Amino acid sequence: MSSPPHILVIDDEPQILRALRTILTEKKFKVTTAARAEEGLALAAANLPDIVILDLGLPDMDGIEVCARLREWTQCPIIVLSVREGERDKVAALDKGADDYLTKPFGIEELLARVRVALRHASRTQTAPETPVKAGPITIDLAWHTVTRDGEDVKLTATEFKLLAYLAANRGRVLTHRSILTQVWGPEDADHTEYLRVYVRQLRKKLEADPERPEYILTEPGVGYRFLADE
Amino acid sequence: MTGKPENLGRPIPRQYNGVGMQLPPLSYFLRYLFAIAFIAATTAVFFALRGTLDRAPIALLYLLPIVLSTALWGLGPGVTASFFAFLTFNYLFLQPYFTMTVHRPSDLVMLVVFLIVAVVISQLVGRAQMGLTAAREREREATQLYELSTVLSGLHDDQAIARVLAEHLHVMFRAEQVELLISGSDPFRFQLPAGIRSPQRPPELAVAIQAARGVLGEIRMWRPAALPSAGERRLLQTFATQGALALERAWLGQAESRARILEESDRLKSAILSSVSHELRTPLSTIKAAATSLRSGEVGWDSTARLDLLAAIDEESDHLNLLVGNLLDMSRLESGALKPQRQWNVLSEIIGSVLQRMHRLAESHRVEVDLAEELPLVPVDYIQMEQVFTNLLSNSLKYAPAGSLIRIHARPIDDSSLYVQISNEGPAVPEEHLDRIFDKFYRITAAERVSGIGLGLSICKGIIEAHGGRIWAENLPAGFAFNLTLPLAWDGAQPPRPQVETES
Repeated sequence: MSSPPHILVIDDEPQILRALRTILTEKKFKVTTAARAEEGLALAAANLPDIVILDLGLPDMDGIEVCARLREWTQCPIIVLSVREGERDKVAALDKGADDYLTKPFGIEELLARVRVALRHASRTQTAPETPVKAGPITIDLAWHTVTRDGEDVKLTATEFKLLAYLAANRGRVLTHRSILTQVWGPEDADHTEYLRVYVRQLRKKLEADPERPEYILTEPGVGYRFLADE
Repeated sequence: MTGKPENLGRPIPRQYNGVGMQLPPLSYFLRYLFAIAFIAATTAVFFALRGTLDRAPIALLYLLPIVLSTALWGLGPGVTASFFAFLTFNYLFLQPYFTMTVHRPSDLVMLVVFLIVAVVISQLVGRAQMGLTAAREREREATQLYELSTVLSGLHDDQAIARVLAEHLHVMFRAEQVELLISGSDPFRFQLPAGIRSPQRPPELAVAIQAARGVLGEIRMWRPAALPSAGERRLLQTFATQGALALERAWLGQAESRARILEESDRLKSAILSSVSHELRTPLSTIKAAATSLRSGEVGWDSTARLDLLAAIDEESDHLNLLVGNLLDMSRLESGALKPQRQWNVLSEIIGSVLQRMHRLAESHRVEVDLAEELPLVPVDYIQMEQVFTNLLSNSLKYAPAGSLIRIHARPIDDSSLYVQISNEGPAVPEEHLDRIFDKFYRITAAERVSGIGLGLSICKGIIEAHGGRIWAENLPAGFAFNLTLPLAWDGAQPPRPQVETES
């Protein structure tokens, strides 16, 4: 990318806007800010950003509605900001097309990591070939359907592989329970989180050094899962 | 006497059995039929004995079935029996036989006297019987009313009042179905017998439950057998009034206890405010001090002091965040808004993510997780349970000496519940404090030594109880432990055991 990526931040807290503008500008991003949803939507329409960072608690419009409005005409990545108590809003926003979320208060490394993942995913939609996904000792070859850990083959069942492949293809991004269940088990099983819980446990046992403290297949409390791969 | 009169016609209700089993009263027609049949039967006996018995004793003996008929079946059948006996006596036992004519004047006198005596006797017996029945009925009503008012006076709960009222109505009025509609802050409908749909037709008996401040509800009864008498309507009205009084008393009591709770929570809020402002200032002071010293330029760019200050800011803001989270949870718990969003969860996953999030804090101790292999799925709110384990763990980390062992252990007790223990090697808590440590703002140690508002454990208790579980603390031979149980069934459903396919 020749010009610096453009980030639009929509949040009604002036302190947050100030901090994010300072930090993101420092990190060589072009930053635009908006304190209200209407203003943000207008700014996005006037000059399409590469990423939108959107607070779910805006005074003039429901954040989920903002997601939906943006998704009507653009696929640009949306990262939503929410509080710990707002799991349902987070999930709703993700289901309405948001790409990722951060719980306030968040560390700036976390935010930058999410931004990098979102940018990579946005750019990868054009580039086709999938190289094997690496996460520490784990290598997942999506094309060849093979998984190795420390160079040794890991035997996975068909569903386990399907689940891992979906997580790995979306490495770094949060995936909601619903989206994983729909993708791996089918829409009729979208509410059966117990399948997901059990299969994630199986996968962790086979792949993680300590299944109780996973390093790669991470739980996003109340929301879903995230696969952490090497950058 | 062949039967007890009070058991016929209007049976005394038996002990209430919830189904309403009663003997149906003999129909009007049947009672007359029985009276006539009785006379016919006795006539047959007298006819057989007519050789040995004179007509005078026969006339006297006829009075016996008449009196019995009246006693058994009432005045109407009694008088009918009298006339029927008069006719058969004349037809069969007075000369000329088998005619309705009478030749001898003495026979005529006897016949007339017989009829008068028979009718008068049956009138007298019938009246006495009716008086007795009415007296019994009044006694029953009085007893029922007395019982009702005694039971109702001890009740403070709408549902219980409705149940008692319905049971008494059901017995007293021999209703097929009783339905109570209770309005008020939380309107509901009570039906007896339960689980049966009320008939489609309008109720035969209906009355409003009326109190001084308005209509509190309605009583509706279905009873196809007999139309209600004026007395019954009066009685129903009395029942409704009793119900209204009881409901009003209950509501007044509830309003009073609500007022008490409000007062209590007001006091609590002041306590929260003073405690919270103190607790929030502590991390804020650290952050402020660290940030200002970093800004002053007196801390070297590469010094370890700078890294320490930055770490302090980071950690103290996490601490602040935890405090605010607990405060929010507390207020939601208080307002009843902390309803668990249950899903089938894997306990080890919840504990794992707590440990991961707290790994920096937990570095000071050794944390051992010992979960039974293949624990069943638990129907819990993931986030709330995370909060429980975070609070229990952070409490253990706070009180147990650095470097000591903290152990998390879980196993199913039986098919219906799961047991979790978080034990540490910390100091024992005096036995008398073991229950109170779950109280709001309760802290054993002096406030200076250990930070915290004293909300963490009460939030744990609130969450666990909202899940239908139990939490308690206990002193161990060498340490201290939090124990909790969680129900495994969710809406009656046992934990699912998704089949895991085998590797291909």
